[in-house]
Amino acid sequence: MRAKKLIRRDFLVGAAISVGALTISVKVGSAAEPKTHEVAIRSFKFEPQHLQVEIGDIISWKNEDLAPHTATASDGSWDTGELAKGDSQSIEVVKGMEISYFCAFHPHMKGTIVLK
Amino acid sequence: MRKLLAGIAVIGMLFATQATANDPAELSDVEIAHVAYTADNLDIRYAHLALAKSKNPEVHKFAKTMIRDHEAVNEQALALLAKLGAEAKDNFLSQKLNLDGEAIIEKFSALSGAEFDRAYAENELAYHKAVNGLVADVFIPNIDNAEVKALFEEGLKIFQAHESHAEMMVKSLQ
Repeated sequence: MRAKKLIRRDFLVGAAISVGALTISVKVGSAAEPKTHEVAIRSFKFEPQHLQVEIGDIISWKNEDLAPHTATASDGSWDTGELAKGDSQSIEVVKGMEISYFCAFHPHMKGTIVLK
Repeated sequence: MRKLLAGIAVIGMLFATQATANDPAELSDVEIAHVAYTADNLDIRYAHLALAKSKNPEVHKFAKTMIRDHEAVNEQALALLAKLGAEAKDNFLSQKLNLDGEAIIEKFSALSGAEFDRAYAENELAYHKAVNGLVADVFIPNIDNAEVKALFEEGLKIFQAHESHAEMMVKSLQ
């Protein structure tokens, strides 16, 4: 199943986080509230390399390296596309999605999504 | 120790340059920037040649990564030089790199198929090893400007990743 690609740029992520914060403020205590997980791409590593998430959560990758990177599913079913330095891209976690990923430009860079 | 003997040894072995007045450890920041820019551009030229000559998808992927990453480093380097109001300065090592590069391109041009792919991969591994040794052991310890030094430290991480990637490619093509 394909993951949903959500947001292309930082300012949109910022807007989404702001909206999320507002939502959280009126739904305190809701156990099912989706979370946004940040993954930094730094020094040719995904940090954290292994990320625990739940269905419906959002994963946001931000490239802090000078070299462009991607986060690409091992089976190619989802992809952030090219992230230049400072760029972010988010994916919604959906049931059955591929959980291992790598950088399409630097294939030794690998990460995994662990579904709770 | 500022002027590392290791630096002379690296250059002596890998670029076959006389370690007399032409000592890479004596280069200024703007000369070092010129060497780095020249080395980046050479690798971009090798990559374009690989895209033109190779039919191997892995070689194509690697070559595209070299172009993408080295162009990103060059863009950042030019932006930093502009910010500092400085200009990269040509020097003996840039000239030597260009001369050696022309010979390598000429050699590559006569090759094709798997023979070209292996030669390209082996050269990428040797080239990144040589440049990484130079950057880590000679350039970074001798750069005066903090921002230039930081850029070289970030660049080194990229080129070390390229070296590992080239090593994988060499093995896969054997």
